[in-house]
Amino acid sequence: MNLTFSLAHLMGGLILLCAFLLLSQRRLAAMITLYQVQALTLSAAAVWQGFAQHEVNLYLTGIITLALKGVLLPIALRQIVLRFNLTRAVESTMPMALSMMLGTGLIGIAVLVVLPSTMSAVSLTREDLAIALSVVLLGLLVMTARRSALAQIIGFLSTENGLVLAAIGMPGMPFVAEFSVALLVLLAFLVVGIFLLRIREHFDTLDITGIEDIERRGR
Amino acid sequence: MTDNVTLMVGLPGQGMHLHLDALSLLFLCILAPQVLASAVAGMRFSVTFWVFVFGMVLALAAGDAFTLIFGFELMSAASWLLVLRGDQRPATLYITIAIFSSACLIPAVFLPASSIAFVLIALGTGAKAGLAPLHSWLPKAHPAPPAGVSALMSGGMVKIALYVLIRYAFIVLTGAAQPWWGVVLIVAGIASVVIGALRAMLETEMKTMLACSTVEHVGLIAVGLGIALRAKAMGDPALTAVALQAALLCAVAHGLFKPLLFLGAGEVKHATGTTSLNWLGGLMRGQPRLGALMLLGAAGMAALPLGPGFAPEFLLLHAVIAAAATGGILARIGFTFALAALGLGAALALGAAVRLIGIGFLGRPRSLHAASAEDARRGPLFGMGLLAVLMLPVALVPGQVLAAMMPVVTLLAPQAEIHLLSYTPLPLILLAFLIATATGFILHRWGVRGTREAAPWNGGFGRAPVWLPFGDPTTQPSATGFAEPVTRAIARGILGKHGTDPAETYLVAPLQRLHLRGVRLAERIRRATIRQRLGVVFAALVMFLLALGLAEGG
Repeated sequence: MNLTFSLAHLMGGLILLCAFLLLSQRRLAAMITLYQVQALTLSAAAVWQGFAQHEVNLYLTGIITLALKGVLLPIALRQIVLRFNLTRAVESTMPMALSMMLGTGLIGIAVLVVLPSTMSAVSLTREDLAIALSVVLLGLLVMTARRSALAQIIGFLSTENGLVLAAIGMPGMPFVAEFSVALLVLLAFLVVGIFLLRIREHFDTLDITGIEDIERRGR
Repeated sequence: MTDNVTLMVGLPGQGMHLHLDALSLLFLCILAPQVLASAVAGMRFSVTFWVFVFGMVLALAAGDAFTLIFGFELMSAASWLLVLRGDQRPATLYITIAIFSSACLIPAVFLPASSIAFVLIALGTGAKAGLAPLHSWLPKAHPAPPAGVSALMSGGMVKIALYVLIRYAFIVLTGAAQPWWGVVLIVAGIASVVIGALRAMLETEMKTMLACSTVEHVGLIAVGLGIALRAKAMGDPALTAVALQAALLCAVAHGLFKPLLFLGAGEVKHATGTTSLNWLGGLMRGQPRLGALMLLGAAGMAALPLGPGFAPEFLLLHAVIAAAATGGILARIGFTFALAALGLGAALALGAAVRLIGIGFLGRPRSLHAASAEDARRGPLFGMGLLAVLMLPVALVPGQVLAAMMPVVTLLAPQAEIHLLSYTPLPLILLAFLIATATGFILHRWGVRGTREAAPWNGGFGRAPVWLPFGDPTTQPSATGFAEPVTRAIARGILGKHGTDPAETYLVAPLQRLHLRGVRLAERIRRATIRQRLGVVFAALVMFLLALGLAEGG
């Protein structure tokens, strides 16, 4: 049982580390790689939880995560990077040190919120929940801090990984919820991919500053 | 008179209750002649007018809070439609104030008897009655509709608001009464008296001027009510009775002469096409009957002795003097100041009335329209005549009128000691006549010693130009010129440099700025980019989590 905790926490920590590193990375290729590592760790964590909780559904979750987020989405993201010739693209909206300090603060807030309010729960879920909330907050921070549409998508996907991490840590979470979340992510990715193409057609860049200018003036 | 009538409409399971007591009857009596006069003056074909009247009667006859509010709101809505006939901007201003008033009144009538309920009632009814500092809408909204409606709004609707104030302050909330409730009313009333009288002196539009004078009279009534409320809470039965008599008699008198003046102003507008005093003059020649009736009304407005406005003001000054002998040093100083302010208000009201008659009806016509004015139509004249006849008892035998109103005073303050007014003007008239005759005789017999020649005073006219051999009417003093000494002496100090109402400067303008700022903020939020919105939501989430964590952890 001790090994269950340790391994689950280790993998949760890895996922959190990936989310934190997403903040500091400026190059899209590196962000995609980090996302892939995060998704792979998540699938491993799901399988491990399935083994610990004796749940078949969690194995299914792990396999879906592996196939969809560990393989399919990174390939598609890399395709986009290649097609739009963004391999060397570098962007900076917020100073890196500031964003990392904000990220640390967010992790602190998540721990501050989750640990006291779930005092009665099992300790396995407690730390997992804290980590999951941190991952969600960090993903949201990436979405607000970055200007490039692709980086925002990666932030969104990372947020979703945090949600799944929270779900697999909860004993008795129905499989349908996780499955539909995964499906939703796929659909969202398709829609956003089409939007990226349209943005590219109009502005020759994926930077959404142009859209913001139009919004300011046009309305 | 104590039985309830239950109507089968209204709130489910409860219905609406009608109940008449002495107070409602008094205000119904105030209302009835105005409605009759306005109807005769030409409003009787308007459905909205009758809905308006029905709302007022329902509010007066209400036996429960729901019926009262229902009638009050019916009155507001119908009068809004009527104001809308005049102009759109005053109507919007008016409906804003009406909504504010109901927003205060509706919670107040369902609150238990407490100071909060009184403050809300005072705000709601004060806004509707035009009590300072919520009066600045009244001189704009009351003159806008046709004259019959203006008359009923100024003479009747304002009284309904005061009726609600009296009913709640003296009957419903009486258990929780505090002396400072009265002080609030006194302060607001004094401010209304000074500002209303001053603006009445300065305005050149006849109907606006009359509306300002309404603000002044509402202030007088509020001062009387405030003194009575304070004296009742402090247990001073004699003072309570005097102040209540003053306030109620003032309401009666104002309900007679103000509709008369408004109907007259409407007839002036009908005959000449304008109510601006600067374009009138000499109407007494073309409209002798209207002029005579307006003279009676103006005498009432100015509170001249032997006019209807004199007895209430006389009683009110008595009440203030008596109140100055009660309470601590601050109260004494305050009431002395109030006395001075009331004196100023009375003097300014006299000036306003003199200006109304002197500029508008005497002198020579300042425009061809004024020169060719024909006498008023029969309907309005009949209505005004009715009001003028009813003014006579209030003017000449106010003691008897007060005796008839005694049940109201006992209802409002059961412990009040009523000393009836022993003011009988008829011997006074005789005395004044005797004195005048004797003075005239003495002056004629011994006053003139020899004769002296002087150049004729040409009635204030400049030298006649050749093309107008009988003098140029525009060289007469105008309404603005007549008010100029007052403007220089007092108005600049109280109203500021441009003569704007202090309520507008210190209440309406800051509210407008606040509104503008809110609109700008809303526009910025509406124009925010996706990332800014996301950032705001994210920041809100983080703040919430932080608060949650600190609350839990701390």
